Formats: sequence, structure tokens, C-alpha cells
Amino acid sequence: MQIKPILSALRHHKAGTILIAVQIALTLAIVCNALFIIQQRVTQLSRSSGVDEAHLIRIQNQWVGTDDKDIGPLMKADLDTLRRLPGVVDAYATNTTPLSNGGWSTGMSLKPGSKGERTMTAIYFADNHTLNTLGLKLVAGRNFHASEVAPHMPHDTLQPPQVIVTKALADKLFPGGQAVGKSVYLGDKPSIIVGVVARLQVPWVGGWASNWEGQSTLVPRQLMMGGANFVVRVKDGQLGKIERAAPAALLASDRMRVIADDHGVMTFTQMRQDVYKRDRGMAILMGVICLVLLGITAAGIVGLTSFWVGQRRKQIGVRRALGATRHDILSYFLTENLLIGVTGVVMGVLLAMGMNQWLMQAFEMQRISWLWVAGGVIVLLLLGQAAVLAPAMRASRVPPVVATRTV
Amino acid sequence: MLKMTHLSKVYRTEVVETYALRDFNIDVKEGEFVAVTGPSGSGKTTFLTIAGLLETFTGGEYMLDGVDVSGLNDNARSKIRNEKIGFIFQAFNLIPDLNVFDNVEVPLRYRGMKAAERKQRIMDALERVGLASRLKHYPAELSGGQQQRVAIARALAGSPRLLLADEPTGNLDTQMARGVMELLEDIHREGATIVMVTHDPELAARAQRNVHIIDGQEVDIAEEPRFQAEQAASSHG
Repeated sequence: MQIKPILSALRHHKAGTILIAVQIALTLAIVCNALFIIQQRVTQLSRSSGVDEAHLIRIQNQWVGTDDKDIGPLMKADLDTLRRLPGVVDAYATNTTPLSNGGWSTGMSLKPGSKGERTMTAIYFADNHTLNTLGLKLVAGRNFHASEVAPHMPHDTLQPPQVIVTKALADKLFPGGQAVGKSVYLGDKPSIIVGVVARLQVPWVGGWASNWEGQSTLVPRQLMMGGANFVVRVKDGQLGKIERAAPAALLASDRMRVIADDHGVMTFTQMRQDVYKRDRGMAILMGVICLVLLGITAAGIVGLTSFWVGQRRKQIGVRRALGATRHDILSYFLTENLLIGVTGVVMGVLLAMGMNQWLMQAFEMQRISWLWVAGGVIVLLLLGQAAVLAPAMRASRVPPVVATRTV
Repeated sequence: MLKMTHLSKVYRTEVVETYALRDFNIDVKEGEFVAVTGPSGSGKTTFLTIAGLLETFTGGEYMLDGVDVSGLNDNARSKIRNEKIGFIFQAFNLIPDLNVFDNVEVPLRYRGMKAAERKQRIMDALERVGLASRLKHYPAELSGGQQQRVAIARALAGSPRLLLADEPTGNLDTQMARGVMELLEDIHREGATIVMVTHDPELAARAQRNVHIIDGQEVDIAEEPRFQAEQAASSHG
């Protein structure tokens, strides 16, 4: 290897060398962190909500000219209408759903009132049809009985005698223990955990609930407050048909209601696309930035090496005249680029870690894994070698007779 | 050592063929010091580039140290250049980014020689040209004569069978030229085979034998009035 003379030569081309090394370092730092953010977004995007999204429709219904105390019979009638529709598996009414990005949350404790540590949980209003409608898997205990489902008026305190919790919440409340039959507190009165479901994501997909995104509680309550979110589960291949038939049936049974044209009826698939639009956009933007940065760095390397090849044409001819083979010349430029690349990635690793530290402090980002940094180092070094290949090949084709030419 | 028989070199364009060398013959024996002379454009440099395997030729035969070089591939030609030929160029052709030591080391590295042996050879060669104290100097820090001495050291370090010099004093003043020429004569006396291309009759006269090229062919100086006229003009001038 001819590392010593290459280093010696590079000392005479400091400006170009430092410029490319710094460019590689910055690219590595930005690309590593950007790819890490993309990975986090993609992980978030592909998180399961725990419900049978492919067969679910949400209908946002607002009754018109009805007092909250009179909603009960209307809700029952509407649910009967929906459940009777051919192609419908089941339906229930709730305050919110997963993927809606809005809902209720509270602190759950093992002690009454404000005593004891409170564990964050999302609150889903539910009935004895909820598990079947959402397709939730009961891993312990039982479903609600119809007799346990009660109306909940706007000013009522939420202290249901029974609750169903997700496994994530049960594990958090009772690590390593059995949750079914245990008492938990949303207020002063105890709620008995009657069942545990495998998974039910909280309604929010953003940052604030990310640490407890699986901690949900189902309460056997029907919210009597102006409107309702009806969730309908359909049989295979019936989604499009029920999407049209369900609101039509509701309107046919009672026209004193509003179901908005745009977001009034949505499949859960549409809701997922909607709620993760910003994350997806961010991931795409980050990806494009990475590609542009990598492209600029590659172009910088191609440009500088091409310039150096042109500048050193005579020198290459002299080396060839003195016995260098084409392979020697090719390997000279590849080695030179590798040395610059290694310098760049060493600086880049430090910069990437520093940038990650700042992102952690400023935006509560997670610590970047060494694997991402190692991956970035490999990508940048390979990119450098790929970028230098064409000009290096051109250099290797400089004939030895160039050594005898005066220009 | 170096034998060319009926050698030709033709440069072709779409419309014209130019013979740089035509039916050219030369036979340089081992240990000889031959000067190849001729006017500008006569084919001297073409001869040198072909002799040094820097270029291929179009026709004829070229035997170098008993090897027919016409069928050799690029790698084999590089190997022969590296091991058997030492080049001394008019413009010195030192690598400006490398110091004296590293410049002399260049051909030895391509030979894959071990570091200790390289160092020994470099020191011997620089000692031989009187520049052992300038190891760390860069070409820009040396005079023209010193740079050419470094180039000679680079050519000698590989112990080549043949030294090819292209107007070795062309870029030097008279005093430096004299020093370089004396060095070449010393090297020849020690047994080296030297072929020197020059248009300077005074330098050519210091060689053992002269070969004259005009229009790509070697000529007998006694039978070439044009050459005689040029020689007369340069000796009066």
C-alpha cells in the first residue's frame, strides 16, 4: 500500500481534502439521524392498533334537536338499525376510537382518590358488543354483560364498577401478576378489572402518548352527549357497500341528524392514512433530504477527483512511465478517497452523536443506535468509493507517453 | 540490449497518414552510450517513447534485453519499464507533492520491494548523485540541476538495464548541464547502457556513438548534406 506518499500528497491539497472530509462528516451526521427518525416514524406507522381495521367503519353522527337525556333510545334504535344491515357483523357506540387522534385520558391508580401513583390510560366507552365489533382478543377474564352497560351523562363522574384493560396496562399496574378481579381507581370508587384484551392502541398517535400507547381502558358506558361515534364491523368484501348503506339506513330511520359528507363515514384504513399523513410526509421528506445530501456528496467527490485527475494527468503519466500499472493508478485514487472518507466518517460519527444528543434534549428523541451510525459509515464509504470509480478509471487510462509531453 | 529492425510508427487521422518512424533500425549494445540526434520533428522523441515502451509501434520488430516486446500486454510493458528501464526526462518530471526521498521511491514501490531494501537503494542512489542531504526537500525547493539529479537518482535506484534520457540538459543552464552530463558519463563508465536523445551536437559528441534521425529514418551523417549544414550552423552559432 502507498498510504504514506498519498498522505504526503494530500497535505499539499488541504483545501479540497478538508472540504470533502467535512462534507462527508456532515452528510453522515445528518443522514444517520434522519434515517433514525425515518425508522422511528416507520415503526410508528406500522404499529398495530389492535383492532380489525380492514373490516371497520366509523360513522360520526350528530342528532339534531335532541336533549342529551333523550339520546339513549335514539342510540339504541340506531345500533339496532346498523346491526340488522346485511353484511354487518356487529356495531357499538363510543366516545372515540383508535387512529382518531382525539379522546379521553385519565390517571388510573391502585388506591382511591389522589393517593398513590397514577398510570396514564385512554378511556374508551364500550358495551357488550365492543370486543366483537373491534375484533379484540380477550386474553383473561370476560366481556361486559349487557346489564353492566349504563348511560353516562356529561357531568357524571366516571367511576364504573367494572372495566376491561389492555394487557399493556395490566402489566404496568400489576407487573408479573394477575389483573383480573383486582380493583383500580379512576376516582374514589373502585372499578374491578373483569377482563384483559391483548392490545388496543390509545386514540393518539403523536408524541405525548407514545410512552403509554398501549395502555387503554374500556368502560361499560354509553356517552349521552349530542352525538355518537358508531363503529361497524362488516363481513369480508362488504366494506364499500356498508360504507354507503349504513348512513343511508340511519338517515332513513330518522332524518334529524347530521352525518358529515367528508369525514362523517370513514373506514379505519382511511383513518390510518389520515392520522399518519404527517408522519409519512416527514419520513418521505427526510428520505428525500438524505438522497439529495448523498447525491451532493457523491457529486462533490466525483467533481474533486475529476479535477485532481485533470490536474495530475502529467503526474499519472510519469507514474505509468515509472512502472505503475493501470491497477496501481486505480488503487491510488481509491485509496486516496478512502483516506479522505475515513477522516470524514470519523468526524461524522462524533458529529452524529452530538447531533443526536441535541435532538434528545430539544425534541425528546431517542438515543441513536450504534447500528445506524455503523450503517451510515459503511454507506458513506461505499458511496465515496463508487463516486471515485469513474474518475479513477479515467486516470488509469492515462497513457504513459503523457510523461514525455510538455503540455 | 536494444534492437529495432524495420520499425515504423504511423499516426493516422481520417485523411492523412504520418510516418513518425519509417523503416527505422538501431542496435545498441550493452554498456554503450548512444546519442540519438536530429532536428525537431525528425522522430527522436517518437523513438524514445517506443524504446521506453511508453507507446506501441506500427510495424517492424523491437527486441529489448532479448525480449520481443511487440506482443506484450499493458501490465507486462509496465513491469519491463519498471524493472529494466530508467527514464530521465527533459522536464525532470518529479512529483511536486512528494519530497526527494518519496520521489526516488516511486518506481521501487511499484516493484513491491520491501521498505528496508527501498530505503537502502534510495540512499545509495541519492548518495551517488550527491543529494543525500536533501531527502526531505520538495522539488520546488531545489534548483533545476538538483531536480535533474533527483530524477537521475530515481532512474538509477531500480538498477535498470537501460537508461533513456530525453534532452536531459534541455532545461538547464550551461554549468548545471555540464554537471548532469558528467554524472551521466560517470554512470556510463560504471557499466550502464545509456541512450540519450538530444538535438545538441556538443552533448552528442560526448557519447560513444551517434545515431542521426531525419524524417523518421536513421541516416549516415556523412551522406546527409542537410544535417551537415545544420551541424555547421550550430557550431558557428
